[in-house]
Amino acid sequence: MNLANLLRHVSFKHVRLQKTQLAMAMAGICLGVAAMVAIDLANRSVLRSFEDSINHVTGRAALTITGTDAGFPEAMLERVQNVPGVEYAVPVIEATASLTGGRQRPLMILGIDVLQDHQIRDYSITDESADIPDPLLFLARRDSILLTKAMAAQEGIGIDEKIRVQTVAGLRTFQVRGLLNPSGPARVAGGDIAIMDVYAAQMAFGKEGRIDRIDVSLLPGETLDAVRERIRQVLPGGYSIDTPATRTKQVELLLGRFRKSMGFISCMALFVGMYLIYNTVSIAVVQRRKEIGILRALGAGRGDICRLFLAETLLVAAVASLVGAGLGYLFAGATVGLVAQNVTDMYLRTSVTELSVSWQAMLGNAAVGVLASLAAAALPALAGARITPASAIRSLPYAEESVLLGKKMRNAATFCLLAGLLILALFASAEPGSSVRSLGVILAAAIFLLLGISLCTPLLLRRIVPLCHGALAACFGAQGRLAGLNLQKNVSRNGVAVAAIVCSIALFVSSANAINSVRQSMFDWIDTIIRADILVSTGHPLATGGSPTIPMPPEMRQELAKVDGVKDVDVFRKTYLDYGGRKVLLEMFDVALRLSYCPAMITEGSREDMLLLSGRDNIAVNEGFAVKHRIKRGDTIMLPTPAGPAPFTVTAILVSYSADSGVISMDIDTYRRHWQDQLIDTYEVLVQPGRDIEAVRTAILARFSSERRLFALPAAEFKAEVQKVLDRSFVLTNAVNIITLVIAGLGIIITLLSSVLERTREIGILRGIGMQKNQVSAVVIIESALIGAAGGLLGIMSGVLIGWIELEGIFRLDFGESVVYHMHYGAMAWAMLLGVSPAALAGLYPARRAAATNIVEALTYE
Amino acid sequence: MIELRHAGKTYQQGSREVRALRDVSFVIKKGEFISIMGPSGSGKSTLLNLMGGLDQPTSGEVFIDGRPLHGITDNELTLIRRRRVGYIFQFFNLLPLLTAEENVGLPLLLDGLPFSEVKPRAADLLDKVGLRQRAEHRPEQLSGGEMQRVAIARALITGPAVILADEPTGNLDSHTSEEIFLLLKSFNDQGQTIVMVTHDPKAAAYGTRIITLKDGAPDQDIVIGGDNP
Repeated sequence: MNLANLLRHVSFKHVRLQKTQLAMAMAGICLGVAAMVAIDLANRSVLRSFEDSINHVTGRAALTITGTDAGFPEAMLERVQNVPGVEYAVPVIEATASLTGGRQRPLMILGIDVLQDHQIRDYSITDESADIPDPLLFLARRDSILLTKAMAAQEGIGIDEKIRVQTVAGLRTFQVRGLLNPSGPARVAGGDIAIMDVYAAQMAFGKEGRIDRIDVSLLPGETLDAVRERIRQVLPGGYSIDTPATRTKQVELLLGRFRKSMGFISCMALFVGMYLIYNTVSIAVVQRRKEIGILRALGAGRGDICRLFLAETLLVAAVASLVGAGLGYLFAGATVGLVAQNVTDMYLRTSVTELSVSWQAMLGNAAVGVLASLAAAALPALAGARITPASAIRSLPYAEESVLLGKKMRNAATFCLLAGLLILALFASAEPGSSVRSLGVILAAAIFLLLGISLCTPLLLRRIVPLCHGALAACFGAQGRLAGLNLQKNVSRNGVAVAAIVCSIALFVSSANAINSVRQSMFDWIDTIIRADILVSTGHPLATGGSPTIPMPPEMRQELAKVDGVKDVDVFRKTYLDYGGRKVLLEMFDVALRLSYCPAMITEGSREDMLLLSGRDNIAVNEGFAVKHRIKRGDTIMLPTPAGPAPFTVTAILVSYSADSGVISMDIDTYRRHWQDQLIDTYEVLVQPGRDIEAVRTAILARFSSERRLFALPAAEFKAEVQKVLDRSFVLTNAVNIITLVIAGLGIIITLLSSVLERTREIGILRGIGMQKNQVSAVVIIESALIGAAGGLLGIMSGVLIGWIELEGIFRLDFGESVVYHMHYGAMAWAMLLGVSPAALAGLYPARRAAATNIVEALTYE
Repeated sequence: MIELRHAGKTYQQGSREVRALRDVSFVIKKGEFISIMGPSGSGKSTLLNLMGGLDQPTSGEVFIDGRPLHGITDNELTLIRRRRVGYIFQFFNLLPLLTAEENVGLPLLLDGLPFSEVKPRAADLLDKVGLRQRAEHRPEQLSGGEMQRVAIARALITGPAVILADEPTGNLDSHTSEEIFLLLKSFNDQGQTIVMVTHDPKAAAYGTRIITLKDGAPDQDIVIGGDNP
């Protein structure tokens, strides 16, 4: 009850009087929560979009049966249809095509059995061709296709109109026989979907005799597990028999690293937000020290004081977090497209049409904001409770009892640093693949180290600032000396502002270094593996899965080889397969040819071991896959093939950054033998020495222009594309870093503002003895810049360490040890500038306040 | 009422040990108006802090109404300060954000009483100190004398066993000081026990007994009439 009285009669009055500081503290929490909510919502929306696509595309199917992405023999369909308990089992072809003309719109092709499929999926067609009144006729005409109304409207396509579509078999003409209303499968891929007969789809997409999936519904009374078991018995091993929910889970696993790294940076934004709260409450405790003393003298207990500050934080944080959740929703709306683009670039094609808003998740994030704020406020609130009434009333200097410079704080700093280093040592010494080598462990090390460095900040400042007085006086005269003295006098409080900058700069530098390391390592890798002169494909050359790349027939290799100036043509095929519950990338090429012109980046094994892949049941795996599945060279593993699981021996471990879920490399002939798939995703063309690459490229495009639309990129252009995609994938990280810097900037303003307000009398004296307004401003701005410079320097040092940790915990766990730590010196210089400039800018407002001090009022100020 | 038995207080100032009070023993009876005098640094304020439970002795014992103030928990000490002691400080120590009425009622608000219950009692006390019309004013809108009268009303609101006044007029002009002494005297006449620390012999003469301190120890203990000099 007395807490309620204190809040009503004391706290609310502070709120009214200190609107500026309060608004800035709230803005800090608000931005931290907004960043978390935005990233969470965007991630959820992308996942939800996958889930919706899977649900819409699987309809009423209780089970879906898949093999590898290359499909499996259609003979399996009959086996499944005959399984007791199966109501309907329908075949599906899923392929990617693109409309030619206009903006080359990519679209998903669903090949279905038009006689049976309505038992599983609902199709709502309002505009139908007069020529084809019933589905049987649709089946009879293999050039028939159904488009969604949305796509037809956007592309200006009408009923019975003919469209040109790029398929595996080349450019084909189809007639639009109907338009699908936006329900069921028509909602998949944002409406960029077309329906064809399964047989026509097999022909057009090079899947003769094969299907991609069987969708199964169950007879009433049958249990899922029982039917699944019966199906398993009639199929060869290696097939996945999943529920739609399991498929969603697989996508979630596939996006694991992306979600992990986004989660990491949003946590760091909140961490800096916590500093702001810590700073604000610490300042409030200092400013209200006398009030605390009076309340204590009048009978308020320590608990009352602690609860008062915590309750104030709770109220402020609750409002700010809720507003932050709302703001996060807006941010998510603005960024979800970018997240979807990143996911499409790196993993699977997706288009998010709407935000998936989970109120529980938004409130959960807001609650995290409130709890983080309370945790941050706890230490200063306890310090406030420890203030003795006698000393507060006698106005003894607070610094004497400051917890920030005390022995306990030194011990806490030492403990955090030692704990962080110990965890790092444990991580480094653990066997690859062991449970100690996890993101959680490395994150704990990062947080301990950051906390340790932050707690050390006031202690370091106390030692370093006195050493700089001479230099400051030399550079900035009396203003410099005064600024240095002010910094030293308020070292505990300024230490908190410096610590907040340390965190944000550390985050900025660590991200820049980790990103630079990944970029640089990827470029080195691409430089090594891309030795062909021209890369020929039908879609974006970097897309690794579910991409708009439409495979090409094998005969094109000979056709390409005949083009004038071509020396040789290598092939590249990629597909995903399930291994250990995860989708891993299977890459195929002509091993003997590849090794003749391109060195492999081998971490274990030799070139000779790689040659053992040619035509044999041998494979090479990348480091990430080997670590995750604890596979060594010489091990034999079972891979699911359309004919069932087959043994493959690992002859080498490679560097490959193609997919973070794991990469398996195989000779193209081995793949064709097992998978019966002849298609090729990319042809890698070697140009005869001395021939003009651009001329050969033009000749290739001219040769195939009537058959199919091709990308023929010279290696340099391909590498530039890679760089663009990589840079795009880091835009969000940079955005969160900027938010973090803004939060740190708010921290500086709050610190300086309160510092100026407290020094009103001192400023009045300085003005009284003749200091000019601009000199007063200069003192505050120099002090502010010094805080920024100290934070910048310490932040850069911490950032180098955290960057390495980030690389270890996020990237090396997935890609392997070969990712080399490359420091980004440009970013570090920027960080220093970013530390000093916003800090100096943040000092402008307090400087104006200081300069505007009324001398007479200040001198009578008590 | 208040009893000190061999009470001592030692502070650590860096590596130096400062003995602010040494072996102080005396008894204050109900209804007395004690003036404590002594030069700066003689331990007057430290003594007042020990009697009011703002601080605890490093040696000896302190009792208020027979209950010990030493060796008890911080919470117990806090409750004694809240309910049994009224403080008046030299610099008033009013909360600047609160109105006069709220400042007066603060000890009861801390005790969890609703403001509706506190308000009439605060108004009554403000009336007694002559500030009924200033109830809604904040400290910055009051003169020094008015602020100290608000502080007196605040000290009285819980009906404390003792009022401890630390140089209550140290920050006021002589005319206002006299008004404050007369006000304190009037409450003492109604039976309120008061202990006042002062430098001023004229002010001390308002008391019924004067205790002087020298180097942290009692020097003289004189019973006087307590009439206005």
